Amino acid sequence: MFDNALLAQLVARALRYGGDFADVFCERRRTIAYRLQDGRIHDASYGVTLGVGIRVVAGESAGYACSDDFNPQALNDAADAASLIARSLPGEAVRSVDLSPQRAASFYDGSPDGAADARRYVSLLETADRAARAYDPRVVAVNAHVSDEIQEVWIATSEGRLVRDCRPLITLGVQVVATDKKERGSGYVGDGGRTSIAFFDRETPEALAREAARIATVNVAAVPAPAGEMEMIVGAGGGGVLLHEAVGHGLESDFNRRGTSLYSGRIGERVASELVTIYDDGNLHEERGSLNVDDEGVPGQHKVLVENGVLLGYMQDRLNARLMGVESTGSGRRQSFRFVPQPRMCNTYMPPGEASVDEIVATTQRGIYAKSFAGGQVEIAKGDFVFMVGEGYLVENGRITTPVRNATIIGNGPEAMMKVVAVGNDARLARRHYTCGKGGQYVPVGVGMPTVKIASITVGGTQHE
Amino acid sequence: MNESLAIDLAGQALALARDAGAQSAEASVSIARRFHAEAREDVVARLEGSTGKSLFLRVFRDGRKSTLSTTDLTGEGLREAVNRAVVNTDLVAVDEYAGLPETVAADGAELRLTDPYLIRRESGEKVDEAMELERLIRAADARVTNSSGSHYSDAVAVTAIANSRGFAAAYGWTRVGRSTGPVALDGEVKRTAHYGTAARHLADLESPPSVASTAVSRAVDLFGARKPPTMRVPVIFERDVAAALLDDLFAAVSASNVAVANSWLTGQIGNRIGSELVTVVDDGRVPGGLGSAPFDGEGVPTRRTPVFEGGVLRTFLYDTYYARKLGAATTGNSTGGGIGPSNFYLEPGSRTLAELIAATPVGVLVMDTIGFATEHASGTYSRGARGFFIEGGELAYPIDEFTIAGRYTEMLAGVDAVANDLRFDGPVVSPSFRIAEMTVSGN
Repeated sequence: MFDNALLAQLVARALRYGGDFADVFCERRRTIAYRLQDGRIHDASYGVTLGVGIRVVAGESAGYACSDDFNPQALNDAADAASLIARSLPGEAVRSVDLSPQRAASFYDGSPDGAADARRYVSLLETADRAARAYDPRVVAVNAHVSDEIQEVWIATSEGRLVRDCRPLITLGVQVVATDKKERGSGYVGDGGRTSIAFFDRETPEALAREAARIATVNVAAVPAPAGEMEMIVGAGGGGVLLHEAVGHGLESDFNRRGTSLYSGRIGERVASELVTIYDDGNLHEERGSLNVDDEGVPGQHKVLVENGVLLGYMQDRLNARLMGVESTGSGRRQSFRFVPQPRMCNTYMPPGEASVDEIVATTQRGIYAKSFAGGQVEIAKGDFVFMVGEGYLVENGRITTPVRNATIIGNGPEAMMKVVAVGNDARLARRHYTCGKGGQYVPVGVGMPTVKIASITVGGTQHE
Repeated sequence: MNESLAIDLAGQALALARDAGAQSAEASVSIARRFHAEAREDVVARLEGSTGKSLFLRVFRDGRKSTLSTTDLTGEGLREAVNRAVVNTDLVAVDEYAGLPETVAADGAELRLTDPYLIRRESGEKVDEAMELERLIRAADARVTNSSGSHYSDAVAVTAIANSRGFAAAYGWTRVGRSTGPVALDGEVKRTAHYGTAARHLADLESPPSVASTAVSRAVDLFGARKPPTMRVPVIFERDVAAALLDDLFAAVSASNVAVANSWLTGQIGNRIGSELVTVVDDGRVPGGLGSAPFDGEGVPTRRTPVFEGGVLRTFLYDTYYARKLGAATTGNSTGGGIGPSNFYLEPGSRTLAELIAATPVGVLVMDTIGFATEHASGTYSRGARGFFIEGGELAYPIDEFTIAGRYTEMLAGVDAVANDLRFDGPVVSPSFRIAEMTVSGN
């Protein structure tokens, strides 16, 4: 769809005042989505994102301009606007760039050439709605949505690389509200990935809907969460949100190159209990955060961030890798052609340990079991993080007991990771519905985790004895 | 910015929709020129400038609705996308409430949405301003040794709305913002803060020295922070975090949430929910307000809607669809695709924040929160927080790594003091206020 000669000319034009490197990112994304409410298909939406972003990097500086208009004048104007960043810096103008197309391995599943028969999406939603309502008479509302997108990108760089990637992403989400007339509770479950609608033949809409309805009914009966310090058991799968917030963001190279992260300059140091190993991986089959190539044209990779408690590496994009004298790890991501790339996580997870889950529970005297998380946030410099429990229970004298509602957990990244006292043998990836926000840009990510016990953490409920 | 171009593009989309078989349609087009400069140390770290166009289209056929959003406004691409949107209506259930609003209008109200100076402002000046802010944070305190960047950004834009009943109108608007993220170091402890502000007019924007000093004090004042004990005490929410509570309240009064039982205020109209200090207004007509506009996303004139008066819930906020569905009238809160705030705020009181603190024998001042744990169905709230412990009406010592939690029913009923520091620097804003008792969870 984009002419190679035009892309080469734009890259060269962007470097007319010099610069360390330049890239042109072309994107065409088509998203189809349906939403169910009150048992009926409530709306259908179709979205098209089409445009070009042109970047010039000179030292620590980046010039960026984008255009949703493809006429040559508009594209040249964008290249000129991006080029200005290098105008006052010493450097040689680049006269021409030769592009050679590159190929990358594929970690996606499904047909990347278009959406399925639209009736199949609608049928997923209707099936989910029926299954959620049939689960329990206390279910009063079901909201379900499905979205399926194809993002095609063409990336041309001043080193002469030309890479194309075509990324599918499908998501089915079911939100259920239940009530016993006195209390309300809600539950949300989503799944999908870089795959096709056939995924939901395996992970059925019935199963997702029943899971969401189960969480909603558990939350109806939930008591207010306790307040204060206690032991915590983090559930397998979605517990990976803990890794994403407590460690992952702090290992992104922009914060570390600038020295604003508490993990800055600490490679080789002990930052977690020796039971803790953390990977970030762009190469997992079908996962939401997987990338054949990142948004700078670099192949996605498997990265060891922390091994046996020792910090081994950061996640790098091209700009920061260059300034730190290392290679990009294929972590340069952007929300769309309107945004500059940032170093970001792909799929962040912890491999299995040796403890049995029964033993972890049996040895917990007074604590909270966070079975799933609704999300989290971190403050990079000091490392304080929070995460929000989606489904949680009290643990009393070695037994999982009463469900608790809407607790926020607060801790400090390295302190919490040092207090990991048991890692279960039940590692798994979470259901695929997480989206990560950073600097106003949202990208799909994956997380995973075995059951993990943290010796003490602050639980932010309302019940104070 | 060219208002007639935006209206033309909207008109073209309507014609394509009609040709594709839509019986009625509504198009909104926005064209925005955006600029962003980031300074860090003595370097311009980022310079971004672009003009972007986007179209949002709603099409109706046989009582079924579907939508399209696209940045591809070229002839063939647009035709194909509009066709697809119209075909898509076949899969949607017939909905008696779907359709265009009855009344649309563009009046000539002077809302001060555009700053003519921003339209012609030189980029060099804007970059200098980001550099100045970066210098100011580093000069303000010796412990500020680093930063995550100082920013200047602006947008000059036009928004047009047209529908198949012949309505077509447009308005221009501008927005300008400054923000900065100082990083301070004291011994081994690194602390960062972020503070930013925005306005429609450059002259209304908080000055760089003031932005710098607020940002820096948020970072350095917290040095030596301890974890507080777990306790139930009065909590004062400083203006910006108070506004975040109002965001939750907006979600609870949005008819789109009420209609699907995802609001703790469902069924509560006419009931006393808050203390008598809780008067909350949604006003689309605040001159220069970032949430102001002559008409909403459906072309319905904006207005002033009292949502809570003296603690009593008077109304939810509606677009045309949810108004019909719930048997009410639209309040002019359509964003096109959903329901959004105009200028949604808590009415200020007469005392200063300092007076509120002085009148609090023991309590907590919350200056920043992290997380977003609000369960809207049940109205439970909890956040990570940092701020100060208050003793004897004074800020005794900084505290962090704690949470605050409560239920909105009890929190709104517990509002017992509201400060006078309301400022319209976003669509959802609030003065600082105090809640009589909440659970603070720490050691």
